[in-house]
Amino acid sequence: MKIRIKRAGLMATIQDQGRHHYLSQGVPVSGAMDSLSAQIANLCLGNDVNDAVIEFTQSGASFVTEEDMLICLSGAGACLKTEIRRLPQHRPLFIPAGTGLYLENAPPGNRSYLAVAGGWHVPEALGSRSTYITARFGGLDGRFLKEKDVLKSTEKFTPTTMAIWNALKGNAINYPKWGVARALFLSRDFKSIRVMRGREFNWFDDASTGNFFAEEYILGHNSNRMGYQLQGKPMHRAIQGELLSTAVTPGTIQVTNNGDLILLMADCQTTGGYPRIAQVAAVDLPLCAQLQPGDAINFKEISWKEAEKLYIEHQLELRKLAVTVQQRYSGSF
Amino acid sequence: MIDLPGKSDLQVYPINEGAVTIEFGKTIDEDIVNRVNAFDRLLNEKVLPGMYQTVPAYASLTVFFDLLTILDAPLPGKTGFDKARAYLLGLNEQASDFEEAGQSEIITIPVCYGGVFGYDLEYVASHTKLDSNDVIKLHSEVVYKVCMVGFTPGFAYLGGLNPALEVPRKATPVKVSPGAVGIAGSQTGVYPLETPGGWQIIGRTPMRLFDAKRSQPSLLKANDKVKFEPISLSEFEKYSGG
Repeated sequence: MKIRIKRAGLMATIQDQGRHHYLSQGVPVSGAMDSLSAQIANLCLGNDVNDAVIEFTQSGASFVTEEDMLICLSGAGACLKTEIRRLPQHRPLFIPAGTGLYLENAPPGNRSYLAVAGGWHVPEALGSRSTYITARFGGLDGRFLKEKDVLKSTEKFTPTTMAIWNALKGNAINYPKWGVARALFLSRDFKSIRVMRGREFNWFDDASTGNFFAEEYILGHNSNRMGYQLQGKPMHRAIQGELLSTAVTPGTIQVTNNGDLILLMADCQTTGGYPRIAQVAAVDLPLCAQLQPGDAINFKEISWKEAEKLYIEHQLELRKLAVTVQQRYSGSF
Repeated sequence: MIDLPGKSDLQVYPINEGAVTIEFGKTIDEDIVNRVNAFDRLLNEKVLPGMYQTVPAYASLTVFFDLLTILDAPLPGKTGFDKARAYLLGLNEQASDFEEAGQSEIITIPVCYGGVFGYDLEYVASHTKLDSNDVIKLHSEVVYKVCMVGFTPGFAYLGGLNPALEVPRKATPVKVSPGAVGIAGSQTGVYPLETPGGWQIIGRTPMRLFDAKRSQPSLLKANDKVKFEPISLSEFEKYSGG
């Protein structure tokens, strides 16, 4: 299975679930910004959740299938279209060779994930297929996808993938009646982001921490895979002091010396020295991944215990989804 | 022998659902750096269930683990955080004293100081009221210790800079080349990648500080010892060529 990129669109990269074993050497996690959607796209095809997907930002990309394909698009902000029709998201799609497909704008949302049966075939770098642009490694030669790139599947198919393939293959575009309800994995209010108090929460005065939970914050234009600039009421310190650099992770909300908020995302540095007012709950990071500059969000406090519970529930739901897809296709040829 | 702080001195706090930070102190201090590294070595021998990575910093150690694995572990507490904290504090209690790391080898980094590579050397000399050659001498005669790696892949924060070389950082970061050797405040280090950097640049090394193709991509790791060796421009070019 392979595709040829006609237009790569904005900042398209190969990503998986991230690079977790080189943090002590300063290597960021990277991986799909919306890790939930990347996992859903893979699970719809019977893939491993960690298989490599293409991360597209907004719409505009187009490609041609050079062979018969089994693919899935998940995420938000764009959907797949042929010359004549829109194709559904979050479900396996059989696409015959020679079909032109493009990503059409479908707001709201910002990032879409294209999975292929078997996962996209790029070499592993430091235990992951994720692209890390700053250091130019991972993914496809450590760079953004571009026109004329040819991307192939690993062709390593699970029995579930084979069964889905056999159920859908033919001469025309085909897909099953079922699809995954991605929204059910997310909280109902996309603009309300759940956070836990950060270690330096009490370094800020009461008015500032009050504002933090009461006011809206707007995603600034200087926002990317490394971090988001959040525009809103500036934070004022109650306690002055310098923080020694220490480990930070995607989801950490730092406050700069000017009182501005920065939300760290997938490609963030491994250590930081700004005080941390809050940490976004892991289950709400996919919502953050779908924000566009200009979008407004607010923060809602939950306890660390609650965050753990939500994370576990989320993991169990994803496992259940994998089993459901497997069972649907077990014994079918 | 290193005395670790007692249970009451040690702060453990969550930084996300699958990571906790152990705080050993709040200052840059060689004893604390040594404690962090000693505890890191111990923890990597007696691994926390589900642990997959530790990140040492100046005065803290962050431990990353799989939440579902640690929840299944027979440790006191109901949450992953409680279990991790119980394990780490318990390990600290057991480790009342243990051996300091053996003398590690000194990694020598060749540096071509001044000129086109060290374009801020003159500024550093005038700010410190030293001769450029003395700046080079003071910078290259010390054995530094890697306190932590962060900021970018392979960027090592080195401790041990001669206080006579303290200079302010630049008002705004500017683009630096891979291998650029910088100083600012009490810190010195080498930029591994082309990134914005705010330190004063006094030279460049032809050595690759970070290479994703190596099994250990970062040349330097926490607790390593490092020395800079002045080289000429022609030696620099020879190094790059070979």
